[in-house]
Amino acid sequence: MLRVDKIEVNYPDFVGHYDFTLARGTMAALVGPSGGGKTTLFHALAGFELPTSGTMVFDGIDFTYAAPAERPSAMLFQDHNLLPHLTARQNVALGIEPNLRLSPEQWAIADEALHRVGLGAFGERLPQALSGGQRQRVAIARALVRAKPLLLLDEPFGALDPGLRKEMIALVASLQRERGFTVIMSLHTPHDAIGVADRMVFVADGSVQMNDAPERVLASDAPMIRQFLGR
Amino acid sequence: MRPSSVSTSNGQKWLGPLAAAAIALPAIVALGGLAMAGEGFDWSALAHPHIRRVIIFSGLQAFVSTVLSLIVGAALALALARRRDFLGRHLFLALLATTTVLPSIVVVFAIVAIYGRSGVVNEALAAIGIEGGSWLYGLPGILIAHVFLNMPFAARVYLHALDHTPAEHHRLAAELGMRPAAVFRHLDWPRLKGETPGLAALIFLLCFISFAIVLALGGGPDRATLEVAIYDALRGEGDFARAALLAFVQIIIGLVLTLIVVTQQRRPDEDHGLQQTIARADQGSLTLRRFDACIIALAILFLVPPLASLLDGVPVLFTVLSADMAQALTTSLILAACSAVLTTALAYAMARGALHGPRALYGGIAYLALAMPPFAMVAGLYFVLRPLADMMTLGPPLIVFINALMALPFAYRLIEAPLAIAEERHGKLALSLGMKAASRFRLIEWPLLARPLKNAAALAAALSLGDFGVIAFFGGGDLITLPLMLYQQLGAYRMEEAAGTALFLAILVFFFALGALKDRDDAAR
Repeated sequence: MLRVDKIEVNYPDFVGHYDFTLARGTMAALVGPSGGGKTTLFHALAGFELPTSGTMVFDGIDFTYAAPAERPSAMLFQDHNLLPHLTARQNVALGIEPNLRLSPEQWAIADEALHRVGLGAFGERLPQALSGGQRQRVAIARALVRAKPLLLLDEPFGALDPGLRKEMIALVASLQRERGFTVIMSLHTPHDAIGVADRMVFVADGSVQMNDAPERVLASDAPMIRQFLGR
Repeated sequence: MRPSSVSTSNGQKWLGPLAAAAIALPAIVALGGLAMAGEGFDWSALAHPHIRRVIIFSGLQAFVSTVLSLIVGAALALALARRRDFLGRHLFLALLATTTVLPSIVVVFAIVAIYGRSGVVNEALAAIGIEGGSWLYGLPGILIAHVFLNMPFAARVYLHALDHTPAEHHRLAAELGMRPAAVFRHLDWPRLKGETPGLAALIFLLCFISFAIVLALGGGPDRATLEVAIYDALRGEGDFARAALLAFVQIIIGLVLTLIVVTQQRRPDEDHGLQQTIARADQGSLTLRRFDACIIALAILFLVPPLASLLDGVPVLFTVLSADMAQALTTSLILAACSAVLTTALAYAMARGALHGPRALYGGIAYLALAMPPFAMVAGLYFVLRPLADMMTLGPPLIVFINALMALPFAYRLIEAPLAIAEERHGKLALSLGMKAASRFRLIEWPLLARPLKNAAALAAALSLGDFGVIAFFGGGDLITLPLMLYQQLGAYRMEEAAGTALFLAILVFFFALGALKDRDDAAR
C-alpha cells in the first residue's frame, strides 16, 4: 500500500499538501487542471523535491527522505527520458547498471524488456531515429528492468496522437496486470482513464480533492471538477 | 510569361550583393596585390628556416593555447555548473565576461604588471631572495595571455551548454543512482564534446592570427605569428616579396580554419528542458566539492590579479589626461564611430541579401576577416594602393575598413536572425500592402532590429577602440590611438603612465561592450 500522509511541499510561489492512500497493485489516473500540483506530487514521490513535513510509506517502508535511487519508484517524464547519445538498448541498460558494464545475462534482460514493449528490432537505434511513441516505449522498458513496484508516469503520452495514446495506456495497463505494479499516471484527457484505471485522483489547488473510482469522479458535482471537465 | 517587374520578395535586391562586393572586392584586390608583389619570388623561400620557424611557432603556440584554454575552461565550467550558490558566483561570472572583452593590448599590460620583469610575482620572489628575471617574454608570456583571454570564453560557452541539459536527465541520473563519474560520462561529456570542435577551431584561429600579444610578448623575430612576421617584413624591412609570401600562407591556413569554424558553428541552442536551476545529480559528492573549490580558487588566482593591476591606474587616471592623450582619444573615437557605422551598414545589407540570396555565401563572406587577417589584407592592399596615395592618407580609411571587417562576423550574427524573424512574420504583409523600403524598415524591421543594430554598433565600436593591429603599421606622427599609445608606453617601460592609459582604455571599451554583452546573455537566457 502507498500511504502519503499529510506531506507538505514548499516552492517560493506554490505550496502542495497531499494526503491519500492507494492499495498495492492499483492503477491510478491522476487528473486536474495544469498548475494544480500534479507534477509537484510526482516530484515529491520520486524524491526530486523533499517535503517539509509528513511521511510517505510504501508497503510499510518510509521513503520520505530517501535518495531518488533508493525509492520504491521509477518515473517516466513527458519528454527527455532518453539520453540522446545512447542507443535504445543502452538506455534500457542504464536501468540495470548506470555505468553500462553489463554481463551477457543482463544484456539479455534489457533485450527482453525491449521485446516486451514491441521494440525488439530497434535496440541499436539512437533516440533521434525513433518516433515519440517509440521513445516512451524505451523508457517503459527501462522501468521494467528496474523492477520497482511503484511506477510514476507524468503525462507520458501527452504529446502523442489520440490513437497512439490509447495504445500506450493499454500497454502500461497490461504490464501493470502482468507485474503487479502500483501505477500513478497523470493524464491530460481524463476520459482516457475509463476502463483502464481502478482509481482516479483529482488534484487541484495543490492538494488531492478526490480519490475514487473514475466513473464516480467524472460524475461528481463538485464545482471544481465540473469546471475542470467543462460541464 | 511572368513579367519580370513583379517581385515576390521585398525590394532593394542590390543591397546584399553591393555589401558583399564591398567586402569581397578589396579582398580580391589584396590577393592580386600579393600576387604582384610576390612576382619573381620563389616558393622555395617557404623552406627558409626563418619562415618555417614562424609557421611552426604560430601553430604550436596556438595549439598549446587552445588545449590549455579548453581543458581549464571545461573544468571551470563543470565546477560552476555544480556549484550554483557559492558567495560571489555572480561576480565571478561577470568577471569571466569582462575578461573576454578586454582589448589584447590591455591584457598585455595586465600580464606584464603581474609576471613581468618588475611585476608582482618577481617582486615577491625577490623578497625571498630569488632572482626572477624576465622569463615572461616568448612562449610563456604568449601562453599566459592567450589563456587569460580565451579560457574564460571557453568556460562561458561550456557552462551555457551544461546549463541547457534537460532537467529530466539529471532527475533520471538521480533516480538511477548514477555516480559522479557516470553523470560526467552520460550527461556532461556529450555536451562538452558537442561544443568542442567549433570552440577549438575558433580559439585556435584567434591565437593563430594573434598580433598585439605576440608582438609585445614574443620577444624575438622567430617567436612570432605570421601576422607579426608580415608586419615585420612590411614595416621593418620593406620586404614586399616576403610579406606577400607570408600573407599567402596565412590566408590559406586562415581560410581552412575559418571554414572549420563556420561549418562547426552551432545554431543557438533551442531551449528545451525546464529552464529552472537544475538540481544536478552529482552535487553531493565530497570529492567533487573539494575539486570544484580548488578549480574555482585557482581560476580566481589566475584571473583576478591581472585585472586588479588595472586599478594601479586609478591614481594616475587624471594626471595622464594630457594633451597627447586627448588627441589619441579623439582619433580613437572618430575611427571607432566610422567603423561602427560601416560594420552595422554592411551587416544589415548582408543580412538582407541572405534573406533572398545564397545564405551560406553571405555567412561565409561575413567571416572573411578571420580568413584574411588584417596584415595579410593590408600587405596586399597597400601594395596596390601605394602608388595612388601616401601612407598618411591611406592609413585611416584602411584602419576603419579592416576594423569593420573584424567586427563583421559578430555584427552579422546579431542582425541576421532578428531580420529573418521580421521577414518571416510580416514580410508577406508588407508585400501585400505594397510598403516601400523606408516604411518597411521603420514599421516592420526597426522594432525587432533596434537593439541588435545598436548592439552591433556598440560591439564594433568597442572592438575598434581596443584594436591594436593595423594601427601599428600606419600609426605614428599625428595618427595615434589609445592602444598604440599604450603599446609605446609599455615599450618604454613607463608602467605608471601605461597603467593610467590601460585603465582608461578598459573603461571606455567596457562602456560600449558590456551593454551589448548583457543583452546577448539576456537573449540567451
